[in-house]
Amino acid sequence: MRMLNKISALAIVLTLCSFVLSEPEKITIYLIGDSTVCTQPLSQAPVTGWGTPFAVFFDKTVKVENHAKGGRSTRTFIGENRWQPVADALKPGDYVFMQFGHNDEATGAKFEERHTSPEDYRKNLVRFITETRAKNANPVLVTPVSRRKFSKDGKALETHIEYSKVVAEVSAEYKVPMIDLDTRSRELYESFGPDNSKLLFNVSQPGTNPQFPDGVNDGTHFSEYGARLLAELVLDEMKKSNLDLLSRVIKPASK
Amino acid sequence: MSNKSISAYPETGWGMMFSKFIDTSNTVIYNVAQNGRSTKSFMEENRWAPVVDSLQEGDIVLIQFGHNDEVSTKPQSTTEQQFQANLAKYIEDAKAKKAIPVLITPAARRKFNADGKLEDTHKVYSELVRKVAKKEKVTLIELDRKSQELLQSFGAEKSQWLFNHLKPGENPNYPEGKKDDTHFSELGARKMAEIVYAELKSLNPGSINEHFFKPKPKK
Repeated sequence: MRMLNKISALAIVLTLCSFVLSEPEKITIYLIGDSTVCTQPLSQAPVTGWGTPFAVFFDKTVKVENHAKGGRSTRTFIGENRWQPVADALKPGDYVFMQFGHNDEATGAKFEERHTSPEDYRKNLVRFITETRAKNANPVLVTPVSRRKFSKDGKALETHIEYSKVVAEVSAEYKVPMIDLDTRSRELYESFGPDNSKLLFNVSQPGTNPQFPDGVNDGTHFSEYGARLLAELVLDEMKKSNLDLLSRVIKPASK
Repeated sequence: MSNKSISAYPETGWGMMFSKFIDTSNTVIYNVAQNGRSTKSFMEENRWAPVVDSLQEGDIVLIQFGHNDEVSTKPQSTTEQQFQANLAKYIEDAKAKKAIPVLITPAARRKFNADGKLEDTHKVYSELVRKVAKKEKVTLIELDRKSQELLQSFGAEKSQWLFNHLKPGENPNYPEGKKDDTHFSELGARKMAEIVYAELKSLNPGSINEHFFKPKPKK
């Protein structure tokens, strides 16, 4: 009888363990990238990186760490020791979303410190992927979100051709899920049109915004509204890749 | 106007955007506005008394009600008389603490008629706000009028960008989508905040201009 009790006690313990194990492990999504992704300071409001609205799309089992930083290319992100702490912290099941390009592709004397050739850009992306996978975490490539540039007939023009192509090639070669934010963002801008797409960006008239008293016409950085619509596109693209991560997207409490 | 919980995002109160306009080195902004509240329920729920208690001389109180006061089927609604008396009470309490009350007419709802003209959904209660402001000699911000102009300039279709309109599957907080013509998107909230900012700048109650964000001079 005593033995039987022990066995049933053991069975209960095992049941509890399996129950605990069936609860999803907590994971972290690391965002690495540039100013179009990063958390922006109040001094730049309304400028918002898409990582900010993206971070609230997930349930309590997910922590989003936005490591993106304005002005960084793949090369300077590594050079400033911003990647290594992420690589060190990665745990199995974590995700790394990477979106670079804006600063890698910048040319001219002023941007020499950040410019990265397409070859080196490719090598750096492969490094992020390889080191992420070495920790049994999941890399996700994101093509650089488009700048706002329209042709005379109202078509949103490609602004990252060369670097987005590298992302697609790396995605195919290394079988990494890809969020084609470059294409999706251009479709979004086109749906708003040349003039109204300014609403998605940090564009304002003089005197309307204390952060930019002389007005601003920025075709690269987003307003709060633009950043959220882009984050929604990232989420939608995740569905195309059918990422496991989708099971952790927040579900509203039933009414 | 209110701060929204993350579960309601992207619904955005204009107070959330307005708070970004403030110089945090010399100013603290408390957004105590709450969805669904009228001049009456805001007081009954003891949301006003703590504000009065904490008011100091020179503080500024921005007051915007109307949406819930004017809907007579809502339990928190107020009659025209009550609405005016309550606004006067907020003003009186603020003045008693040597604070500066500012009345704001309620932000417009998105309701267009078949001809694409915006309807004046706060007509009666906005007029009451104006009346009280005049009588009590307090600064009035014409958010209703200015936001109606804004909505009209966007037009019947595009004005939905200003509101919490979401397609099914677009946003995880609203899987079935949403068509809310009262509450704002980030864009609408920012535009409303910009209206309030512009009006406050020109009227400058309580020298509020000293309390707006100042960019660092460029090197």
